[in-house]
Amino acid sequence: MTDPLIDGSEFDPATAADAEPAQRSPSPRPRARFTLDDDTGFNEVPKKYRRFYRRYRGEGDELAPNEVLCPVCKVVIRSSRELRVGDRVYCMPCMSRLTIVRGDAGRLEAKVEY
Amino acid sequence: MSLETEEVHARDHEAFLEEVHSFEFWFQSVEGYLSHHPYGVDPETPLPELEDAERASLIASLSTYCVGEAAALDGASGMIAFAPNHAAKIFLATQVADEARHLEVMLHRLAELGVDDARATFEARAHPSLIAFRDRLLEFVAARDWEASVFAQNVILESMEFAAFHSHMQTADPRTSQILSGVLKDERRHMGFGENDLGRHLAHSPGAHERLREIKHELDPLVLATFEESLDAIGLPRGERPEVGRLYLETVARLGFDT
Repeated sequence: MTDPLIDGSEFDPATAADAEPAQRSPSPRPRARFTLDDDTGFNEVPKKYRRFYRRYRGEGDELAPNEVLCPVCKVVIRSSRELRVGDRVYCMPCMSRLTIVRGDAGRLEAKVEY
Repeated sequence: MSLETEEVHARDHEAFLEEVHSFEFWFQSVEGYLSHHPYGVDPETPLPELEDAERASLIASLSTYCVGEAAALDGASGMIAFAPNHAAKIFLATQVADEARHLEVMLHRLAELGVDDARATFEARAHPSLIAFRDRLLEFVAARDWEASVFAQNVILESMEFAAFHSHMQTADPRTSQILSGVLKDERRHMGFGENDLGRHLAHSPGAHERLREIKHELDPLVLATFEESLDAIGLPRGERPEVGRLYLETVARLGFDT
C-alpha cells in the first residue's frame, strides 16, 4: 500500500528496488499535481479537511485523475496528486481506509481495507 | 497550509481512526451542516401545502422512520456499555446524539403536519416489519452481543435508512427533504463505522462469519419487507427499487456475505 503524497518513483511497482530489471520503466511519468479548492461545497467533515472530498453527482460525473469514489458512502475522495494503483486514501465521512485498484472496466476504483 | 491538511491520506491508520472516532471530529463535522438549521431546516423554507393523500403518506413514512431512529437511539446507547474499546465508546456516544436529534426533528416535522402527540403515537403507524426488526436488534443489545448488534444496527439498519432517505429526499417537499439530507450525512458515519468495525472484527474472528450469516438469513425477510413497505409509502416505482437496495447488498457483499 502506498501513499499518493509520496513521490511516485518511491513506490511505483515498475520502478521498485526489488522489481526485475526488465520490468523497470526507464523514466516513469511523474504524477500530475492538483490544487485542491478550499471549498468544494462538501460540508460533512471539519473545515480543514473539506478540500479532500466532494459530492458525487451521479452516473455522468467524470472523476479526475486525482479522484476516486468511496464505495461505502459514495463521496468523491480527492488527493493533491494523481492517484495510481496501490495508493492508499482515507474517506473521512465514513471513516474508511481504501486502496486504489484497477476495476473490471479499466477505471481506478477504491477497495475498502478493514 | 498545515501539515495536517496537506497529508490527510498519508496518515497512520491508528491516528486516522482515533481522530475520526473522536467527539471533536464529530462536533466540527456536524457544525458544517447543522448550524443555523433549527430542527434540520433552513428557517427561510416555508411550510408547504400538501394534499391530504400526500400528507397521510408522509406521516406514515416519518412514523416508520421514527421507529428506526428510536431503535438506533436505544441500540447505540446500550452498546456503549459493552463496546470493545474506547474509540468505539466515544463514537457510539456521538451516534446517540445523532439518533436523538433525528428522532427530535422527525417528531417536529410530524407536529408541523398536524399530528397530535406524535411521540406517543408514531409506533402505532409504523410498518410492522421494522418493529419486528427493532425487537430483534434490542435483544442482541440486551445480550451484550457486540458483533450481532453492530451488524444489525450499523450495517443493516443504517444502510437501509441511508438508501430509503436518499430515495425519499428526491421527491419530498423542501422541508422534509432538508431534514432527510441532514440525517443522511450523519448516516454516512454510522454505516461506515459499522462496516469497518465489523470488517476488522471478522478478520480476527473466523467463527463469527458463519454466525452472522445465519443472523442475516433471519433478518433479510424483515429488511426486504421494510424496504417494500417504505418504498410503497413514498410511491417509488417498482422498477427503481433494486437500485435503492443495492447499497445494502454491496455492503454485505464486501463483508463477505452472500447476497
